[in-house]
Amino acid sequence: MLVGLIVVWLLVNFFKDPSEFAAVFLIGLTNGTVYGLVAIGYTLVYGILQLINFAHGDVFALSGLVSFTVLVDWLGVTPADSTAVAVGGILFTLVVVMAVFATVNVTIEFVAYRRLRHAPRLAALITAIGMSFIVQNVGLALYDVDFRSASGLIPRTNVFEIGDVSYTWNKFMVILITVPVLVLLTWFVASTRHGKAMRATAQDRDAAAMLGINVNRTISVTFALAGALAAVGGVLFLTQFNMRYDTGFELGLIAFTAAVLGGIGNLTGAVLGATLIGLIQAFNEGLAWHAPGSDWTRSIVFGILIAILVFRPEGLLGERTPEGA
Amino acid sequence: MTTEPTREDVILEIDDIHTYYGAIHALKGVSLNVRAGEIVTLIGANGAGKTTTLRSINGLNQPRDGRIRFQGRDITSVPSHQVVKMGIAQSPEGRKLFPRMSVRENLEMGAFQRSDRKNLREDLDRVYTLFPRLSERKNQKAGTLSGGEQQMVAIGRALMARPKLLLLDEPSMGLAPIFVEKIFEIVREINEQGTPILLVEQNALMALETASRGYVMETGRIALADEAKALRQNEQVRKTYLGEGA
Repeated sequence: MLVGLIVVWLLVNFFKDPSEFAAVFLIGLTNGTVYGLVAIGYTLVYGILQLINFAHGDVFALSGLVSFTVLVDWLGVTPADSTAVAVGGILFTLVVVMAVFATVNVTIEFVAYRRLRHAPRLAALITAIGMSFIVQNVGLALYDVDFRSASGLIPRTNVFEIGDVSYTWNKFMVILITVPVLVLLTWFVASTRHGKAMRATAQDRDAAAMLGINVNRTISVTFALAGALAAVGGVLFLTQFNMRYDTGFELGLIAFTAAVLGGIGNLTGAVLGATLIGLIQAFNEGLAWHAPGSDWTRSIVFGILIAILVFRPEGLLGERTPEGA
Repeated sequence: MTTEPTREDVILEIDDIHTYYGAIHALKGVSLNVRAGEIVTLIGANGAGKTTTLRSINGLNQPRDGRIRFQGRDITSVPSHQVVKMGIAQSPEGRKLFPRMSVRENLEMGAFQRSDRKNLREDLDRVYTLFPRLSERKNQKAGTLSGGEQQMVAIGRALMARPKLLLLDEPSMGLAPIFVEKIFEIVREINEQGTPILLVEQNALMALETASRGYVMETGRIALADEAKALRQNEQVRKTYLGEGA
């Protein structure tokens, strides 16, 4: 019923103004990919530890701020520079920030979560919330309350233009960087030795240890991957929007919702959930005919979170497990 | 001069270990050994400490006191992933398969720590020969198999490590009698091919028929140790574990 109404609403919007619809769709897709990069971090860590790592959103935000330092303060890239310089600067920043935040995330696990692995889940959860505040306040201490942004480095010239619909390089870059990252991640998890160890540890930690898998190292690898992906998200977010120390709180919750929507623990699910949330947000804020508007975005997104937890806790692609989650 | 086994014969030697679960003193001085070529069984009631003994051996729950030696090397504090590398593989209680991996992937995970991965094909064939049923189901997800089939995968997975000592924890648990017979047959076959086995079982009758020696555990201690044949005759054992009325 509700789904039917939404479909009708989308169709009406589509026929009233197809080019607006397409433009909004592309915006949603772009934002959804950034959410996806963060959502994967939640899902990877949950899959292996059954822990919701609330610090993850804040790690993402801090990585964005640090990438501002690298890209703008150190490298001095400005919108006046040529595209080649900007692209080179962004790629270099990506590599540096991914390495730094892989390390940061591994350290967080080592310091805050490792000793609590056999403690009641509530203990780890509260520690995760504490870690979230710590990372957020490190961001506040280092960068103050000001917003940072590096938008405008990549020219807003068109990749393609059909009728009134245009898609700019500035936005397309997000997809251009995210897709290979996701392909690499999928290959890593499916085919490498570390990837197999990750899947085995996620499915049965004791059995994995009995087969000679170094469980501690495997969990570290997982946090490193999650941190590196959050950093990709941080750099890309910085090239699109403004961000400051507390940006990660809300974006983290949105990404977490995306991970739950797709089925927490499921990589494809996280990307699918994030794309859907990105589209829902864009349609809600961008369509002209009877859209609730941006004031309602949060209510809608978190309404979705509650609806999934109540009606389909395993998410769109998740499998039902005996524990129900 | 003596009929006692020489030291080289003993591949696993557990000497007075004490293991704790948090504050619970689970093993209160357990000693046992396994010699080359043997099947040794460890029987006892639920909670006697059988599984804890295995977890002490493979490093998942390291003893606080006492010594465990494997092929003459002290492995008391060796982390579990290295214990496996030294040649101790286990088929755990409750099977503990990777439910979302196929049968074949589960088996391949058994060879995870091996550096000589070129003989993988050969070892897979060996497992499929022992368990022809698994070869029919190699692409099926392990979570969808029957209990008996899952037990076959668990044992096969442990064999993929080419163990020098195989630990089997409750291989007959929850299986139909026909499968129990079959599993014990295969345990004997694996042993005849040269692998010593430490077999933990609640099915004391089958275990004592299969093993050459046995230990009886009671509340964290070894209560009895003898030849399997002698234990089968032991009145205490018959009453308590073989279900014979007094």
